[in-house]
Amino acid sequence: MSVLLDARNLVKHLGGRRVVDGVDLACESSQIVGLLGPNGAGKTTTLRMLYGFLHPDEGRIQVNGVELGRDLVRAKRSIGVCTQDDTFDGDFTVEQNLTIAATYFRPRPTDLARRVGELLDRFELGPYAGQKPETLSGGYRRRLMIARALVHRPRLLFLDEPTTGLDPQARMGVWDLVDGLRAEGLGIILTTHYMDEAERLSDALTVLAHGRVVARGTAKTVLGDLVGEHVVVVEAGQGAAVAAWLTAQGRGEPASVLGAWHVPVSGEELAEFARAFPALRYEVRGPTLDDLFMKLSLTP
Amino acid sequence: MTWLVAALEWQSRAVVARHLSVYMRNWYTAFLPPAFEPVTMLLAFGVGLGGYVATLTWQGRPVEYMSYVAPGLLAYATFMTAIFQSLFAAFIRMRYQRTWEGQLTTQVALPHVVWGEVLWAGLLSTMYVVIVSAVLTGLHAAGFLHIKVVLLPVLLPVVFVAACGFAALGLCFTAIVPTIDHMNLPVFLLVLPMGLLSSTYFPLEHPVLVALNVVNPLHHLAQAFRGILLGGPIAGPLTGVLILSALLLGILVPLDLRLLRRRVLGD
Repeated sequence: MSVLLDARNLVKHLGGRRVVDGVDLACESSQIVGLLGPNGAGKTTTLRMLYGFLHPDEGRIQVNGVELGRDLVRAKRSIGVCTQDDTFDGDFTVEQNLTIAATYFRPRPTDLARRVGELLDRFELGPYAGQKPETLSGGYRRRLMIARALVHRPRLLFLDEPTTGLDPQARMGVWDLVDGLRAEGLGIILTTHYMDEAERLSDALTVLAHGRVVARGTAKTVLGDLVGEHVVVVEAGQGAAVAAWLTAQGRGEPASVLGAWHVPVSGEELAEFARAFPALRYEVRGPTLDDLFMKLSLTP
Repeated sequence: MTWLVAALEWQSRAVVARHLSVYMRNWYTAFLPPAFEPVTMLLAFGVGLGGYVATLTWQGRPVEYMSYVAPGLLAYATFMTAIFQSLFAAFIRMRYQRTWEGQLTTQVALPHVVWGEVLWAGLLSTMYVVIVSAVLTGLHAAGFLHIKVVLLPVLLPVVFVAACGFAALGLCFTAIVPTIDHMNLPVFLLVLPMGLLSSTYFPLEHPVLVALNVVNPLHHLAQAFRGILLGGPIAGPLTGVLILSALLLGILVPLDLRLLRRRVLGD
């Protein structure tokens, strides 16, 4: 497996604020790296630096062996970008969108007509080839955005929240396509707010909070490091004693969802909790990335 | 000076080619305004106003009003085409269609997008002037006006350069106005005064207007076209056009880039 992205110590200030603070990120071929974090964590700014929209104030980025800061144009030849918002060209049809996108790359993609045909087939856009993109459903718009990002055969693909706003069926369709791209050797950087999506698709996760990497590794490792082994779910209404116990443990108020507290605990803490509250009704479940997000959101 | 080099790079040409491709698909609607506008203007100003002012004095000699207006019409078409393309069309591409953002995810960078808009405005203005020139040639052949039609092609390089300068000015407002409704401000405060008070349709002799027109490239453009098409001084106004266009491009394109970097890239 070859290293397609190697970013070191990225720093970016925006509006006088240190938005990204020493982020490292790497991605190899046939790998999907999930970039996660709550709103304001610095994901979008990091991503925008990685695909050459923004210049980092410090640090360096190598894409497919090419230093982004030294030869942006050459580095961008290896990159495909699917932005969070639809940015297709509304003046052109679906098919023309793919063709016109290819004109923005040198060397030009070879055998373009065949490449466009391949993408139309693969992304099931063939029946809509002659239509304007705005007439497509949300799922097919996303397909067009990803297809367009691939027209020049990049090696590294950035997917910024690719399934936001899609119905479950359309989301799963996009997952299949992304999984197929990984199998073909593409390196993929994925940002998403859907935790199931990150868990299912990503080979490795990098979690950002306040502009810094707070965890990296597989979903299991990240959750173990940042959340805990188990999550105790207890109704907040039963909570005075539990609140006192949490305070005694040196913890603040846990995340609250629909009137229930979700308390991340280690194995030892779970045993202690069970001893402390033998008569309490509660549920114990495994931690999810949702717990991680809630924890990070509550961390000042 | 990388901002200047970007004008010559393939990415800027790719952006221009994209705009040209859209224009050519809608050529029938795009062709009509430049074809009908001069006819309307010549009817309004030439026949209407010209009915009261059959001839006027220009460079110390009498000139038919219709013939006086024709070069002004070409200058005005250059200005308005470039300004409206860089104000409204560019704003729509930037803000609503998000065409720029799509281009920026490729090997195209912001200087190429900006130069692409500037060069496209230059090219579109030149195409418009070609169409207006064809109409004027027909009117000349029909005896409605008398200009040196054989010299009309000479105007085209000047049109292109001046239009690029006007586009750089238009993009400044595209970079700063918050919504498309706010475009009324530059249109009414700058574009219309600059367009109408520039000796395009009538000579301006008030000393204040004469003084203001020293820095109005459209005035020099109209005078240069008049010099070429009616026979008169050319070097002075042509130098004025070239210097002012170079200043607009040299000062405003870097400023456009700075403003748009913040607006489009958030940097």
